[in-house]
Parts: sequence; structure tokens; C-alpha cells
Amino acid sequence: MTNVALSTSTPPPPAKSGSLEINGISKAFPNVQALTDVSLEIRPGEILAFMGENGAGKSTLLKIINGDYQPDSGTLSMNGQRLIFPNPHVAHKAGIRVIYQEPEIIPGVDVAENIWVGELPKRFGVIDRRRLNEQVRASLKEYGFENALPMHLLGDELSSAQRQLVEIMRALKSGVRVLALDEPTSSLTDEEVDRLFALVRRLRDEGVAIIYVSHRIKEILRLCDRVAILRDGQLIAVRPAAELNDAEIVRLMVGRELSSIFQRRPAGTDREAIRVEGLQSNWHQDVNFKINAGEVVGFAGLVGAGRTELAKVIFGELPKTGGRVFLNGQEVNIHRPDEAIAKGIGFAPEDRKREGLVLIRSVLENGSMAILKQLSRFHFVRSRLERSVVTGFVEKLRVRTPSLDQEVGKLSGGNQQKVVLARWLAAKPKVLILDEPTRGIDVGAKAEIYHLIDELANSGLGIMLISSELPEILGLSDRIYVMKNGRITGELAGKEATEESVLGLAITDQRPASSTEAVAAEQKGNTL
Amino acid sequence: MNQTQSKNAAPVKRGDPLKRIVGAIGTDNLSLIFALGILIFLVTAVSGWLGMSGGDKFFSWQNLLNSLAQAIVIVGLIAIGETVVIIAGGLDISVGSIASIGSVVAASVLVGVGTVGTLGILPAGNVVIAVAAGILAGMIAGMINGAIVTALRVNPTIATLGTLAAFAGFAFLLAPDGKPVGVMTQPDFTWLAQGRFLADAGFPALGGAKWTGIPVLTVILLIVALLVHILMRYTDFGRAIYAIGGNATAARLAGINIGRVKVAMYMLSGGIAGLAGVLLAARTTSGNPVNGNGLELQAITAVFLGGAATSGGKGTIAGTFLAVILVGVLNNGMNLLGFNTFIQRVALGLLLIAAVAISQWRQARAERARTRAEKH
Repeated sequence: MTNVALSTSTPPPPAKSGSLEINGISKAFPNVQALTDVSLEIRPGEILAFMGENGAGKSTLLKIINGDYQPDSGTLSMNGQRLIFPNPHVAHKAGIRVIYQEPEIIPGVDVAENIWVGELPKRFGVIDRRRLNEQVRASLKEYGFENALPMHLLGDELSSAQRQLVEIMRALKSGVRVLALDEPTSSLTDEEVDRLFALVRRLRDEGVAIIYVSHRIKEILRLCDRVAILRDGQLIAVRPAAELNDAEIVRLMVGRELSSIFQRRPAGTDREAIRVEGLQSNWHQDVNFKINAGEVVGFAGLVGAGRTELAKVIFGELPKTGGRVFLNGQEVNIHRPDEAIAKGIGFAPEDRKREGLVLIRSVLENGSMAILKQLSRFHFVRSRLERSVVTGFVEKLRVRTPSLDQEVGKLSGGNQQKVVLARWLAAKPKVLILDEPTRGIDVGAKAEIYHLIDELANSGLGIMLISSELPEILGLSDRIYVMKNGRITGELAGKEATEESVLGLAITDQRPASSTEAVAAEQKGNTL
Repeated sequence: MNQTQSKNAAPVKRGDPLKRIVGAIGTDNLSLIFALGILIFLVTAVSGWLGMSGGDKFFSWQNLLNSLAQAIVIVGLIAIGETVVIIAGGLDISVGSIASIGSVVAASVLVGVGTVGTLGILPAGNVVIAVAAGILAGMIAGMINGAIVTALRVNPTIATLGTLAAFAGFAFLLAPDGKPVGVMTQPDFTWLAQGRFLADAGFPALGGAKWTGIPVLTVILLIVALLVHILMRYTDFGRAIYAIGGNATAARLAGINIGRVKVAMYMLSGGIAGLAGVLLAARTTSGNPVNGNGLELQAITAVFLGGAATSGGKGTIAGTFLAVILVGVLNNGMNLLGFNTFIQRVALGLLLIAAVAISQWRQARAERARTRAEKH
């Protein structure tokens, strides 16, 4: 509880005045311990990087600092004073701001009003436009953004970069002392990144404490003074950036024992289940891959790499702009999910509650939803048949439910996921897409689902497994495709596939080379 | 059915008979029956206290058969179609205007006047063809609603608010010179409203009034209610409606063709509204372009009162049917007790708000229960 910094190589210096001290913060969500006893000091005049895999706890920590979440235990303090943030507003008043990737912008209102929202200067009860514009123009000029952020633009005309600038200006206006940036460069062009870095350095020199969250190792090493690495909710190391290199950072981020994870024995055939050639969409450029019957093929990558979108494009939920898809060697043209299902594709989406299940309907209805046509005669659902089919899969998957008529929303997360899987098993697809099949599920249920995936593949299905948990994807997949920025950046099989090699391909720090890519990346930032 | 139930799943508890009956009827419907009982008690008590007698009594054949049973039919029909739309998470405000169209179309086909009647396609004087034409006109109107909502992606409330106005105007355009079409000289047609079944059954008098038979109108309502109940409960279409209302994205990703289901649903709602319009023409002996005005409010009130969720995915035809009777008794009681129509309109508006408030409260409670269950 009392250790202020976990730095292993430098002795912790005494807390400077104005440092934000994080003391022993823990936070749990249903089924997952997001943070465990994290202690860290964020010092004024310093840029501190947060790094970690998806789900390592970076976002949760930022949200606690910003007052979006309250910690289960542990404290925040500054100058020896304890800080309690019941909501973001209080955190902002204390001079702490987190700039998220998609800041809240009011669409129909211009830049100046967006910056001053909530505290607009008034005269005789109406907004004092002239004073507002003068102030905003002066501060934009001071930081060199008068061209980057034209004042006449309305909220919905702003690019991602401009939205972030608005949010940063909001922070500066109210005298920010701790500024956190959450993956600020993911949708910026090179020029914008340079400008942002100049601003961040300037703020550091003015004595602001800066937290910089990014997956881009090169950027971190170029910009930051210290690097804090999180893994599975724990703070693994805090090191000066000068002492680190790419390989060391990846090692620290991963560093997990693989022995405890399920290990599948490959059982792929050479019969092709699905092949995708040159697929193009709003999110993808030239995606090529294939999955054979009996194969589990992992799709690794960072959040936002375009994996979920790839699944949805193939499933007909999102539009495809080019390329060809073959099922069992035959080209198919799919525009809607029902067509995909009819052709033999199943898709268990990432977000069970929003996309997977009709929570207020029963286990029975959710389980039979994809096969209603087969179960019906003259549009009448054959109730006996339906019950016996769904019962079969509910038993096979050991769904714990008091009855088939139970509302799905009243089951636990693991059992909800099993209902989704039961639906797709009932549909007997040839290709099954599983998007984060074990997200938010407890360990026991996870193991059951791993065994099930293994069994399904052995029975001849081609499985496309999207997962952000590296051990899961390494343990289950026969082959792995790694995606980044809407492209497949590599294919790994057998011994080549390690946490380091996958993560290396997922975060190799190449800036988008052409301007079209930058545009695509920006669009992605806007639409996701 | 339980023989096929999962062995892992705990067997359904066979509680005492009372619990089973409550379970079968549903707690929501039970509270409606309870409210209905209280309301009838109030109406009879107050009317007794005011010293009313004869046909003025609530419990008289005169009131039950002629006033109440007939009065609920039109609103009841429209509410049944509306229930389907609301369960799917949509809304159809245009049903009143569709009823007007159905009314004008049926009457003008029957008499052979107006735009539709003088087309020369449909023979005049045939009741079956006239009724079918009215229903068909309603289905076409519903198809337009469905197309606007699905193809143009207009929010259903706004879309049908627009067509409410458009269809109302269209009803006038279809009528000859915008005037009502009289059907008084068509006894086969007016039989739909004035006919009685079992008129000679010889039941004893009630409340000083003779048994006059069950109105044809009431029988039509019962048949339509039963058919739609079966549709919602036992067919893939009904399943799709519940799934779409519960979570449209999940339904689509499970292979339900949302666009097609929605168009079919608005056609169903429109067709039933068209039928209601036809019956209105029979009852008022005129195909009048203003016949359906204001019906949507009463219908929507009944649907929410009947337990449908404002966010969709929940609701039953049985619940709506009970709520229609409740609203009917309320109107009937206020009539008997001499409240004027202005007060009745205030009461109806307040009832709609109360019904939706109750529905929202139920949803919030269910949401809390789900969150608890999942944390557990």
C-alpha cells in the first residue's frame, strides 16, 4: 500500500510537490480483476507512458484517475491531500484531465463554444461572443493551432485530431496539472503527430504532469521520460525510457507462463472451408486468408486493427467494397447475415449483450433463433422439435439454467456465451467465427469453451477465432494471422507463433506510408 | 413438453394449483383483471348510489351487448395490430387514417362511386369484394409505412406521423368530391355492424333489458384476436417480431431478415386497421373520410396498458385484449355516469401516460433483476 513507485532500477525520489500519487489502487468488475494494488507517482514536468496489452488495465486506471470509475481500494492524492473523484467533473476541477480517443464534442456548435462549454462567458445573460472568440483565438495562437483548428468549424465537421485538440484546449483553459492522453495518435497523420508531440513537450516543460498511453513503442521511446508497464491488472515495471528498447518492452508486456493455458493439437485437413481474396472495405485493404475444415485459425491484433470488422464484412453485416469470398471452393456473394447463415457461416459476436442475445427472451428462443426456418412447417414453429434440438445443445454445453424458458439476461456471462454457442452449433455451420468468445467469462467456463472449440474443429468445422488474449489465441490456434490497420501483416504457424512474434507484428511501429492510409485510419477512428 | 427438458436443468417446479393458474395467466394480465374488477365495482356502486335504473345500469343486456361489446370492437381491432408493431419496437400512428381509407374504399366499391368504385375493376354491390378491398387498401398503406421505415430508415414515430396526415388527406381524395359515401341501402353490408348471433338463445333478461344476441362485430374482434394471438405465439413470424423488439442487432445477426419482417408487420397492422375502417362504415352506415380520426390514441393506450414494453420485445395479444375491455369499461362507465366527452378525453390522455409510466417502471425493475442475476 505504501510503496510509491515500483521502479526497480532507480531509487524512488521523494514525491515532488504537485505529483499525483496513486496508492495501492485495486478495481474489480464482475468476473474480472481489472487492477490489483497499483501504486505509481505521476510527476510534474515529466511524460510517463502507460503500456500493456489489451485488457492489461490501462483504460481502467485512466478512468479511475478521471473519476469515471471509483477504486475498490487504494487512494489518489496530491501534495499529501487525498483526492476523491465521484465523477469526472470533480477530477477536472482538481486539474486532472484524461483525453480519450473520441472526446465528447457537441456537433452543431463551433470550436470556441465547444472549448468553453459549461463556462461560456456571459454578458447580460447572453453569451459574450466577442470575448469568447478573442480568448479562444489568443489561446489557439499561443499554442500554434490557429491553422490546425479553424474556429469557424462546427463540432461535427472536426476530424479526430481536431476533436482531440478541442479537448486539450478545454484542459488548458481550466489550468490542467495532470493531463492523460489515451492513444492520441492512432488516427493522426504524421504532421499532426509532430505538432501534438511539440505541444506535449511544451506542456511538460511548463510543469504539467503527462500520462501518455500508446501501443506504439517507437513513439513512446521518442517522447516519454519514464515507462510504466501493466500486465493483467498489475504494475510490472516503471523504468526510465532511456533504459528500454523494443524487445525489452515487449518482453515486459508479455512475460506470462504458457503452461497453464489450454493447448490444442492441430487437426486441420487440406479441405478448404473459406478463402478470402483481396477483400476491400471501409476498414480493410487487400485482406487475403483461408481457413481449412478442421482448423482453428487465430486472428490476433490490437483493438481497432479491423478484426471484428473483418468478421462482420464476411458475415454480411458490414459492406464489402471489393474482393472475393469462397466457401468450399465456390464463390459466394453475401449481403446480409441471413444469407451468410444460409451459406453455412456462423458468427458469435464480441458483445454478447448488444449483438449476440435478445436478453429479455428465453434460452429456448435465443437458442433456436438461427434455425427457425428449419424448425417450422408452414411458418408454424414445431415446438416439440425445437425443444428437443435446443435441449440437446444446452446439455452438450452444460448451460446452467433453471429451464429453457428462463430469460437469457438472467444467466451468468459464461452461460450467456454458451447459449450463443448453442445457437450456432444448432445451425451446423461449416465456418464458425468466434469474436472474443471468452471475454468477461470466469476461468472455469473459459476452459469449457476452449475444449468445445477444440472439439468443434476436430469435427470438421473451420473456426475463425478472434481474440485479444494472446495465450488463448496461441493455445487454441493451428495458425495465426496478425492484423494491423485493416491489413494482415503476417501469418504464423507452429513454433513461429510466440507472444513476442505475434505482438511484434501487431504493434510494429510503422506510420501509415501513404496519405490514403492515413485517411482510412482516420475514418476508422471516426466510425468505431 | 417437460419430458424433453434438460436433465441438468432443474425440473420446472410444480407448485400449488393457484400458482400455476397465476403463472399461466401472467401477473401483468392478472393485475389488469384486478383493475377491471375494481373499475366495474366503482361504476356499479356509483350508478346504484345515483339511483340509476333499467338500461342505464352497467349490468344490463342493453349496456353490455349494445354499448360496451360494440364500442370496444373498432379500437380493439386496431390495438391488436398495433400490439404487433409495438412488440417489434416500432409504432404505427397512422392506423386511424388507414381506417378512414378502409372505410371510404369499402363503401365506394360497394356503391360504385368515387375514385376506386368507378375504376371498373371491382364489381359493385358485392359485400365480400367491398370488405376485401377495404382490407387490401389498408395493407397497401401499411406497406408504404414499412417501406418508409425500412428502406428510407425514417424513425417509425415520425414516418407514421407523416403518413397519419397523408393518409387522412388521401381518404378525402378517394371519396367522391370528398364527401361520405352512404351505405344505408346495403343491408348485407350494414349487417356486419347490426347483425346478431344467437338472438333467439333465450337467455333471461338482465338489468331490465332483454337478451338481444351477440353482435357480429364482437365475433369478428374475437376471431381476429385469436388469429393474431396464434400468429404471435406459434409462428416464426411471431418469434421474429419478439426478437426484433428485444434486440434488433442480435436478431439480424441471428439471421432474421428484419426488413422483410417489418414490412409484413406494417402490412398486418394496416390490413387490420383497414378492416376496422370497413366495420366503421357499416356501423355508421357511411364510408366517411373522418371515420378513423383519433383511433390511434385509444389503441396505443390499450397496448401499453396491456403490458407491452415501450422499448419492445414484450407484450401479448391477451394483455392488449384485456386492456381494451378496461378502456371500454372506463369510457362506458363515464358515459353512464354522465361525464362529458371532454372529461373523457382528458382521462384517456392521462391513462396513456400512466400506462407508459407503469411499463417503464416494469422495465427498470426487470433490468435491475437481470443485473443482479448476472453479478451473482
